[in-house]
Parts: sequence; structure tokens; C-alpha cells
Amino acid sequence: MKRSWWYRFIFLIIVAVTSVVIILPTALDFQEESNYPVKSKINLGLDLQGGLYMILGIDFKKVYKDEVKGYTRKVESLLADNGIASTIGSLSVIDEFDPMMTLNLANASDMEASKAKIHEFYQGYIRITGDTGAQLQLALTKVLKTQIEEQSVSKSIEVIRNRIDEFGVTEPEIISQGNDRIIIQLPGVKDIERAKDLIGKTAKLTFNLVNNEVAPTTIQDWITKAEASGIVFKKGDRFSSYLAKLNEHLKQEKLLPSGWILAFEKTVNKLTNELESKIPYLVEENTTLTGEALQDARVQIDQQKNEPYVSLEFKSAGAKLFETITGENIGRQLAIILDGNVYSAPNIQTRIGGGRAQITLGSGGFNRVMKEARDLALVLRAGALPVQLDFLEQRTVGPSLGHDSIDKARFASLVACLIVFGFILIYYRVSGAIAIVTLGLNVILVIACLVGLEATLTLPGIAGIALTIGMAVDANIIIYERIREEIRKGVSNYKAVESGFESAFWTIIDANITTALAGFCLLNFGTGPIRGFAVTLLIGIFATVYTAYFAGKLLFEFYMDKVQGEDLSI
Amino acid sequence: MFEIIRSNTRINFVSKFSVTAVVSLLLVAVSIFGIASRMNYGVDFRGGAEIQLKFTETINLDNLRKDLKDAGFKGIAAQTIGERSQNEFLVKVQGDETNLNQITEKVSETLLSSYASKGVEVRKVDIVGPKAGAQLRISGFQAMLWALIAIMIYIGLRFDFKYSPGAIVALFHDVTIILGVFSFFHVEFTLQTVAALLAVIGYSVNDTVIVYDRVREHEDKNPSLPLSNHINKAVNETLSRTIMTSLTTLFVSVVMYFFGGLAIKDFFLAISLGVLIGTYSSIFVAAPVTLFFDRIKGAEEKNAAKA
Repeated sequence: MKRSWWYRFIFLIIVAVTSVVIILPTALDFQEESNYPVKSKINLGLDLQGGLYMILGIDFKKVYKDEVKGYTRKVESLLADNGIASTIGSLSVIDEFDPMMTLNLANASDMEASKAKIHEFYQGYIRITGDTGAQLQLALTKVLKTQIEEQSVSKSIEVIRNRIDEFGVTEPEIISQGNDRIIIQLPGVKDIERAKDLIGKTAKLTFNLVNNEVAPTTIQDWITKAEASGIVFKKGDRFSSYLAKLNEHLKQEKLLPSGWILAFEKTVNKLTNELESKIPYLVEENTTLTGEALQDARVQIDQQKNEPYVSLEFKSAGAKLFETITGENIGRQLAIILDGNVYSAPNIQTRIGGGRAQITLGSGGFNRVMKEARDLALVLRAGALPVQLDFLEQRTVGPSLGHDSIDKARFASLVACLIVFGFILIYYRVSGAIAIVTLGLNVILVIACLVGLEATLTLPGIAGIALTIGMAVDANIIIYERIREEIRKGVSNYKAVESGFESAFWTIIDANITTALAGFCLLNFGTGPIRGFAVTLLIGIFATVYTAYFAGKLLFEFYMDKVQGEDLSI
Repeated sequence: MFEIIRSNTRINFVSKFSVTAVVSLLLVAVSIFGIASRMNYGVDFRGGAEIQLKFTETINLDNLRKDLKDAGFKGIAAQTIGERSQNEFLVKVQGDETNLNQITEKVSETLLSSYASKGVEVRKVDIVGPKAGAQLRISGFQAMLWALIAIMIYIGLRFDFKYSPGAIVALFHDVTIILGVFSFFHVEFTLQTVAALLAVIGYSVNDTVIVYDRVREHEDKNPSLPLSNHINKAVNETLSRTIMTSLTTLFVSVVMYFFGGLAIKDFFLAISLGVLIGTYSSIFVAAPVTLFFDRIKGAEEKNAAKA
């Protein structure tokens, strides 16, 4: 027996034991509280546990049009500030993704000065595409468009994520696809209509005064006390119900001044979707100033300080209200609350009349502030999702169908396995038994990989596993047929096994690599459950090569050395 | 030793190529006609919506259709899926980008309220906007195209470029005939079918490569003998492996087809067909095409030698 035998044997045992340890919680359905070291179970796809899958598309054509209009208005006022009179002309749409606006100058002689001013203040944002006499043509720069796309997508995802928190879905997946699509997967959601409404609805935007009389340390004390009495936020809970409970508790304890409640500014880790921090604010419970009062919100650049800020424009009724509120509360903070979460809490510096206000942002470099300003403007302007989202694709599966599918597919896989195993056993006798051991190991390994990689098992995925069993037999058959050929030639059994494995190796590799190539293409271009199939297929291929070839060879060596000797049953 | 194919089998496969070529060409031609004229594209590619319903009580399909029509819905089709006794139905809704969602919602609401006493349950709703449908169609075909290219390059590099066309023609042959069968029996062509086709491509090329491996082995040992000899020998030697593997894979896919549930039925229909056709094509399509290219190459070399 070769010396490397033991190393390979120990490796095989480690692989097998690790796999079994990993799949036990899935197979035996352990409770989360059990003290078994492995917690993760296999992730079931939407088609197996029911839920909602959506692809939302963003229509940037309208966004660009709005943007170019907004900037033209700003350019107009910029020029006016510098003594150049102009009027906004027509919008021309030659390319829908690159709309242009015209600006008519009162005096053609201002052309060069105008261009210089625009260049000075909006370089990188606005480009002048042409001038004809006293007419300037303005369009958005590519850089700005990319920025708008990226920010719209990430902002939309953030807003949607905030709302999905309301469902207490444990594994929501909200990701962008390309630069204009968002994929939402909500496994296990039963109230699909409500989920759709919530995702698509207009968010509630309010402006609430912040109470500065209570010290932040006092507020923190209240929260610590409430948490001590069991009101804590756990992953998977709805943030709003935690907030409601917290406020209810504080009211009962008579800690909150009447008319004031707590609200939080949350930061959520974009990758893990977990709450990173929450800053508490004591804000007025009822407010009269809501997003309805707003006309527009845009990013402007302070010409003296070269700092971006957000300029607000109120409708006439809103403007009066805003003037009163700011007048009475100079020095206090006004929280901008979106969907119950504090978004920003700027200071009121002066009484603001005329319906125009500015929100200056903190420092931290031009680009960072610029980004913050854009985000805030987006949120304020739409009050909700920063862009119009269209439902492009939507698939919902009821929980009962998922159960049915799992049961049937599991049963069928079992039957298929047994038939194949029986067939192999009859055909190859003892060697067939070795093949069955390696096939069993193969299945365990595939499932363990799925759990370990946190891949999602879909219905086509189960199909992939079943197919892997059918095809994994192939590697065994290739080897065994080679061994049989060698035996027929009259070589010794030991030699036959040796050269059977050897000559089958490249065949197995070639055959599996070509299959894997098809699998990779599927993974790259497929969507949803189809990717699940591709993943199991690919894992299956790797598992097959290991189990059928390496584990199989090891078992053969063991069998011939220790158990049987001369006679080979194949 | 228990053997399905006796080890001394020597079938002259190459001599049958002219017959099988005609059969294959005919099948492919009929299939292409079927694909072009009567392919049943599912909601994934066509756009539209599908509502899958299950009732606990017996429902008459005609009544269901009539009720939908009476409720004022136009362009709606209903069909039974699976066993009739299961009372499962599929309602298909057409609409454009803007109103597809609303119509689908209304249809399910109507069904849920008017059949409440019959134990109705909406099991699945798929809505694919026309734009998304086009996108899915493109990516589905892209996946297949790239798979073919990647396989062609791999085989070309690992074996010889004279082997690549055989494998690729065999894959086209398999995919076309499966689609032909789908169109002929009016089975819906969905994203799942694309996945199944790619699995078939994987399976069939696997089969082909195993024959090629043997052919090359013999070619290396005996370069003076003509390729047709090697092919015959290789196919005979791998025959028992080919049949064994096809049988086990077919067992699995047939069992999954009959017992795996409605959702994966079409998937395994394509796989079962693929195993049968793929096995056939690795012998009767890939090999002759390789032979054909080998002869062209041989003739060219002769001409070059003459000149």
C-alpha cells in the first residue's frame, strides 16, 4: 500500500464528516436555539418556500429631462446674479437619453461671458452643446448622468430596504442589476399585495422640530432603561414596532415630555442589511409641515465658499407655514423625517420667508458633501423613491405550491436514486457498491457545499442534484469499463484497477469541463431559479470529479489491499 | 461479468452514416419548420401574466372560462394543468407594460371572490412585462451561444480543431430536434427549457468528448490507419459505457418527469429527449462530421503535396 494512502484517507474522512456536520441541521430540522455548533440551514429559494420576486426598472429618460430643466433654471438665475438677462427656451429631445434645453440671451454680446460663468460654476455637470447667435444649448454631462444613475439606484434600494424592514422578512435581497434595474426577493412573504403596495407607495415626508432641552445623555439613559426592561431591536424585527413599543414604554414611565416622541437616524450596513447605528432625536409628535408643502429641492453651489447646499422651494401655503415655524424656532433643529426615520436634522439659523430655504451640510470634502446634498435633494424632491420605478417582472409563489414542489421533487429524487443504485449494484456487484458509496458521498458533498456557500436551493436546483446523480454515475462507469477492458486483456487485477483509473482520468476531466462550460454560461446569463440550477450543476461537477475519481480510487485500493485480494468483482 | 453489450461487439457504425445522415437532416428540417411556425413561447419570453390556481372542489374549465369572459376580461385563456382531478388551472393574461399588473390583480381578485366557496387558492403568479420578456429571450439565446463557443474552443485546444465542428453540429442537431418536439406537441418554451437545453448541451458534449477521447487515443497509437477505423473502434469500445450512462440518466429524468411535480415536468421532458438524442448524435452526428472534415483536410493536404 502506498504511503500517501493515509493522507488521502484522512482527507476523505474529514470531507465526509464535515459535510455531514454541515447538513445535519438541514436534514433534521434543528431549532435555532439548539446548541449544535452549525446554525445555518439550506437556503430555500422563492419557488420552494413561497414569496415574492420582482424586477423593477428605472426610466431614466424622464429623470434626465427633469434634471436638465432644473439646471437650466439654475443657470438662468446664475446669469441673472451676474447681470446677464436670459429666458429659458424650448426642450429638444433628439436622443431621449440626452435631452437638451435652450437658453435665450437678451443680448448676444453676453455670449462669451455667459459661457465662462457656466463653465466656472457647473463644469462637470452641464455641457454647452452649441450656441447660435444669442441662444445657448445646454445638456447634462456624462459624468453627471452616471452619478444620477448610481445615486438613483442606491437611493431607491435604500428606500425600499427601509420599507421592507416593515415586513420582518429575515432574508430580503435587494440588489441592483445593470445600471437601471433593481431585483427584490422576499422569501416567505405571504401578504404579497401589501408588500407591493409598500414598495411602490409614496413615502411620508415630514418636518418635525427637535427638542434640544433634554440632554442627549438623558435620552440615552431612557433607552438604556427601556432596553433593560426587554425592549430591544433584533434582526428581523420591524423597526417601526420596536420604535412604537419604545415610545409607548417611555410614555408609561412618564419620561417623555408631552407632545414629544423619539425618532432615530439609522445607518444600515449595505452589505449585511444589519443596523449599524441609531442616533436618537426627541422630536415633536405632530407636525403640520409635510412633504406636500414642498415645491422643489435642488443642489446648489455656494459661489463664495464653493460648497454645495440644498435649496428648498415651498409652495405658497407651505412657504407661510415655514416662515412661521422658522421664525419661532431659531436655533433649534428641524428634523426631516422620511417613513418615520430621521434623515437629516439641520439647524434653523434665521426666520425664512419667501418660500426659499437652504440646508447647508457638514464639511468633509467637496465630493462627499456633494453626494450627501444630492441624496438629500433626491429624497426631498420625490418625497419617496427618487425615481419612477416600473414593475418589469414579478413572480409570486404561494407557500403551498412550494411545499408540494419540495415533497414531490424529494420523493422523485429518492426513487431515481434507488433505481440507479440498484442498477449499478446488479451490473457491477461489489465494485457497484463502491460506486454507490461514492455517489452517496457526492450527494452529501453537493448539499453541504450549497449550505456552506449559502447558495439558494431552488426547484431547478433539486433537478440539478437529481441530474448530477444520473451523470455522476458516468464517471464511475467510464472507470469501470476501462478496468474491465484491462482485465479482458489479461493483466492482473491490481494493475487493471491502476491503469483503469489512470486512462479514465483525462476522459473524466474533459467530459466534465465541457459540461462545466455550459454551466458557467447558464450562471452568467440566467436569472432567478435558473441560476440555482447552474450553481448545483457546477458544484455537482466538482463533487463528481472528487468522489468518483479520488475517493473511488482510494476505496478501490483499500478494498483490494485489505479486504479481497485476488478476485475482483466488477 | 454482467454485460449489456458484449465486449466482442464490432458494429460497423461508419457504414451506417449515410442512412443516419438522411434521418438527421430530415428531423432537423422538420424541427426548424416547427420552431418557425408553431413554437409556443411561454410568458417568460412573450411577456404577459400567468396565474396558477388550485381549487379544493371540482371545477369545470368551461365554466371558469365563461366566468372570466362574463367578468369582462378580454384576451384571457384558461387551461387545465396536470391531472384533471387535481383541479389546477392556469389563467393567462395579456396586456401591455402599463396595465398588465392591474389586470392581473383584478383577475385574481375576481377569481378569489367568485370562487371563494370552492376553496380557491392562488398558487403562483408570474408577470413579465414585454420589455423584460425581450431581455430574457436575448439572454437565453446568449447563454446558449456562448456555451457553444466555449465548448468549441475547448475541444479545439484539447483535441484538434477538426473535432470541434462535429461536436458543435451535434449540439445544434440536439437542440433543434428538442425544440422541434416542443413545438410539435405545443409544449411551452420557458426559461426552464433554456436551462434544460444547456444541461442537454452539457450532457451531449460530454458523450461526444468521451468518444473523441478514444478516437484520439487510437489515432496517437496508430497514425497510419484511416480515421474511420478509429471511429468504429472507439464507438464500439465506449458503447457499453454510453448505453449504461444514458440508461441511468434516463431513469432519473423519466422518474423526475412522472413524479417530480408539475413545475419541473417540462424541464425533464427536455432532458429525457436530450439524453436520447444526445446519445444518438454523439455517435451518428459528431463522428461523421469529424470524418467529413478529416477527409476535406486530407484532400487539401494531397492537393498541396501534388502542387
